[in-house]
Amino acid sequence: MRSNSSPAKTRPTPWDALVVAAVVLLGALTALLFYGPKAHADAPLTCVVSVGGQVADAAPLASFSGEHTYSHNGYTLTVFVHDGQVEVLHSDCPGQDCVRSGAISRAGQSLVCLPAQVVIHLEGAVDGPDVIVG
Amino acid sequence: MKFSVKKLALCAILAALALGLSTLESLFPVSLAVPLPGVKLGLANIVTVFALYVLGPVEALAILVTRCLLGGLFSGTATALVFSLLGGLCAMGVMILLQRSRRLSVYGVSIGGAAAHNAGQILAAVITLGNTMVVGYLPFLLAVALATGSLTGFVVSLLLRATAHLHLNNQSDNR
Repeated sequence: MRSNSSPAKTRPTPWDALVVAAVVLLGALTALLFYGPKAHADAPLTCVVSVGGQVADAAPLASFSGEHTYSHNGYTLTVFVHDGQVEVLHSDCPGQDCVRSGAISRAGQSLVCLPAQVVIHLEGAVDGPDVIVG
Repeated sequence: MKFSVKKLALCAILAALALGLSTLESLFPVSLAVPLPGVKLGLANIVTVFALYVLGPVEALAILVTRCLLGGLFSGTATALVFSLLGGLCAMGVMILLQRSRRLSVYGVSIGGAAAHNAGQILAAVITLGNTMVVGYLPFLLAVALATGSLTGFVVSLLLRATAHLHLNNQSDNR
């Protein structure tokens, strides 16, 4: 049942190019999927604000600068966007966690105000791996 | 599957060699030259491909699993074990299939194996991190796999030519 009865080919054959082509194709496909025009990698950083679970604002950070106010559950938040950063300037909620969170500027970061049910999330460029093992 | 004494000894030697090679290459991190974390030369794969050709799929698989388990034991990290085992098993499966096709040379088989190894490791990363974003890292690893796979193929082709007169698989041939 041994399959190596015939001598092994030790010089490259034209068929090897098929394997190379398959690997290149797989790489190109995943690259296109993750870094292609459709992927968010090239998309600018987008600020998504959801109030009470519904998206209230979604705009590229660059064209979103200035002060914005959001009211929900009887609380009002003042969000300030400037120089590629987002921060909650003022809130009349009891906890003030959102104000103390400071400014966010990178994709994946978010500011949350639980009492007012306001979530500010930055979306955009693909995050690098958090950790590489092995 | 019966292992003759000669074959068992050969498997043990090859497993030890693979373990030594993977320890050796961890002393020379290629990631310093290529700025990609996790990139390896895959020297231990030379042993796997060589065993696949000279001994057969079952023996090569036994050597691979032994190497991964002992390597995981020595490094003491369960994550490293998962990564090397998943990568290694993917590579093994693809190489066994590719080797069955008589048209491919050692080069095609080892390049396919190297690529499958990286795909397996990405799979392990997706499982451990629970995040599919790491798949975006695959194209870079595949590009490296083309180079390391060719290197492995080159070394194995030299080894096969050099050991052809030894008839390492002589005793175990059932025919």
